[in-house]
Amino acid sequence: MTTVTDMVELARTSAVLEVPATVGALGDIASFVLRLAGRAGLGKGAAYRLRLAVDELATNVVMHGYRGGDGRITVRGRSGPGGVRITIEDAAPAFDPVEGRLPPAPGVPPQDRRIGGLGIHLALTSVDEFSYVYRDGRNISTLTVKAEGTDPCPPRP
Amino acid sequence: MPLSVSLSIEGDTTVIELTGELDAKTAPDFHQTIEKAAGHGTSTVEIRMAGVGYMASAGLRSLVFAQQKVANNVTIKVVGAIEPVSRTIRTAGLDRSIVLSDE
Repeated sequence: MTTVTDMVELARTSAVLEVPATVGALGDIASFVLRLAGRAGLGKGAAYRLRLAVDELATNVVMHGYRGGDGRITVRGRSGPGGVRITIEDAAPAFDPVEGRLPPAPGVPPQDRRIGGLGIHLALTSVDEFSYVYRDGRNISTLTVKAEGTDPCPPRP
Repeated sequence: MPLSVSLSIEGDTTVIELTGELDAKTAPDFHQTIEKAAGHGTSTVEIRMAGVGYMASAGLRSLVFAQQKVANNVTIKVVGAIEPVSRTIRTAGLDRSIVLSDE
């Protein structure tokens, strides 16, 4: 049973992970995100979508944002009864994922397609909400995945 | 998270079996196996993915790489992928050139 008190409690327990922007750190990000998904009680499908979205966006920061150079990625997460909200921050050059998105082009032979932008497309089609801002030299992407099968208005105790 | 990759030949089919997670970190292992598989010259390359619990776009890149490596008349099959993995393949439109099969 979810109450207002629970929600306040969850809001207090936001979690932060800061990792070097390397391919090796993607596993740590995945574990962090899956823990938040578990805490929010996300269903299997929603947890998968959340992980995929964060993984693709973080991979993009590692591969294209910092271009293999040194950098850090900060992932903040907040889980509540309705879902999980994640913020991904980096200090790489400004990059708006929505503009960098590359929807699949069925007419283009596979070998001629750019898969990089497709990763972002996968991320953006996996989440329920997405926003991006560039502020104080940082890219800040915020995404939300809602819990599946959650009653939007749970009965009061 | 680890990925195990095995390669074998069954008749005129080269079988690649994947178990684990396929992402930017592990996809290079899959890449190497694809190169070997392409060298076998069988008419079918079957990629068994039932043991893959997670696949990111790096895995898609590997599948595209496989298509580039094999001859035009070689069929690439992805077998047993769980629903979110096959959804990812369909999202990329790769189901038009790769045979997706449940078994």
